[in-house]
Amino acid sequence: MRAKRRWTPLRRGVQAAFAAFYLLLPWLNRGGLRAVLGNLASLKLGPVDLIEPAAGVSTLLASGQWSWALAWGMALPLLLALVLGPVFCSWVCPWGLFSEGLDSFKLRLLKLRRSWSAEGYRRLFWLRLAVLVAFLAGSWAFAVPLVALLAPPRLLSSLPQELFYLRVPPTLTGALLLLWLAAELLLPRRWVCRALCPVGSFWNLLRTPWTITVRFQPALCLDPQVAPCHLHCPWGIDPRRMGRFDGCTNCLRCVDGCPSGALLAGSGGARLPVHPQTPGAGAAATS
Amino acid sequence: MKLSRRFVLELLFPPPPLRPPGAKDERAFLSLCIRCNRCVAACPYGTLKPAPLGAGAGAGTPLVVPREVPCYLCMACPPVCPTGALDPIADKRAVRMGVAVVDPNTCYAHLGILCRTCVDECPLEGEAILQDQQLLPVVTEKCVGCGVCEKVCPVAEPAIVVKPRGRG
Repeated sequence: MRAKRRWTPLRRGVQAAFAAFYLLLPWLNRGGLRAVLGNLASLKLGPVDLIEPAAGVSTLLASGQWSWALAWGMALPLLLALVLGPVFCSWVCPWGLFSEGLDSFKLRLLKLRRSWSAEGYRRLFWLRLAVLVAFLAGSWAFAVPLVALLAPPRLLSSLPQELFYLRVPPTLTGALLLLWLAAELLLPRRWVCRALCPVGSFWNLLRTPWTITVRFQPALCLDPQVAPCHLHCPWGIDPRRMGRFDGCTNCLRCVDGCPSGALLAGSGGARLPVHPQTPGAGAAATS
Repeated sequence: MKLSRRFVLELLFPPPPLRPPGAKDERAFLSLCIRCNRCVAACPYGTLKPAPLGAGAGAGTPLVVPREVPCYLCMACPPVCPTGALDPIADKRAVRMGVAVVDPNTCYAHLGILCRTCVDECPLEGEAILQDQQLLPVVTEKCVGCGVCEKVCPVAEPAIVVKPRGRG
């Protein structure tokens, strides 16, 4: 068997780089750097404007008028999403990194076994959609971009900025983040990311049949019934059965965990039929 | 019932603070500002601050607290706004952040002490704050509301303060 590529260390590196970038940016700005400004709502990279699409759409709805500046700012991130999938959640978002850490800490502390209900991720789709629609409709109704105002990625990436510029604890952003933290602790595993975050829900919808995803080769799968790949998934998704909008963020942990090389990063590939009750799923546990 | 509704509304939409130069009127500003802090980081004087607790729906938006750091009208912030919440104006005379108001009860000039600090320090010298025949400071309609006068006023509780116009 050829040496397998390990994605998770690479992904941790990218996540850490983004977190460090937003942590250090206020100091760089104060040191005279003016070409790079912003946070995860919008980033200025020299002459290029980047606008996170969910926050951008929320702003368009709130202001009630079309803006070419906003549309152009969203173009590159939208293209990234359509090619690479919702990598914002698993490779970029600092709350995603924090939430993954908190989840594994929670599991270790409570000595829980890694288990997921077999098709739980599928049921979350409608909740996610409802939350997104509520955020966007609320933006329009109150004329305030609620995604930019309340979503965890923007809040967490502006925390160092506010700490730096206010020179007192940023109480408002801090309070909103504490609410998300409480949700993360009290609700089922990873619910803030899997169900409640409007940014994640929006990126999840940006998919085409050609968007990169986890490619499954059934012929190589050791045991289609109880193989542990959906226990590797930080969201409990079974990559062999998932549909296009089931929430996979291309973190590729299942690819790393697959013992037989049946899972690859790519596009297309076959899927197993959906079982309403997969025998052993959820009960089968690995550490 | 009616009272509690107003209370909630004021909690969510408190009266507008002093906004950066070029800001659209408060309602449009709140709807367009994407809370990216780009203007805050672009300000070379550290004038712009993210809104503190009590900002309601204005959480994450930029504001000016003149007594701490006033706006020096360098106009660096409007061009970096990605959404048009700040109109990219370049002429500092077109700014309409607020208007300075003199309190005759505490102003040294009004109390008979010779003081013309605000008149001298106004960045729109000879236009926005004039001295009348009694040597009292008079704010004209040219005042843009940058807050330099509020910053330099020697009275402990500034006798000249900027009243936000609800835009920039």
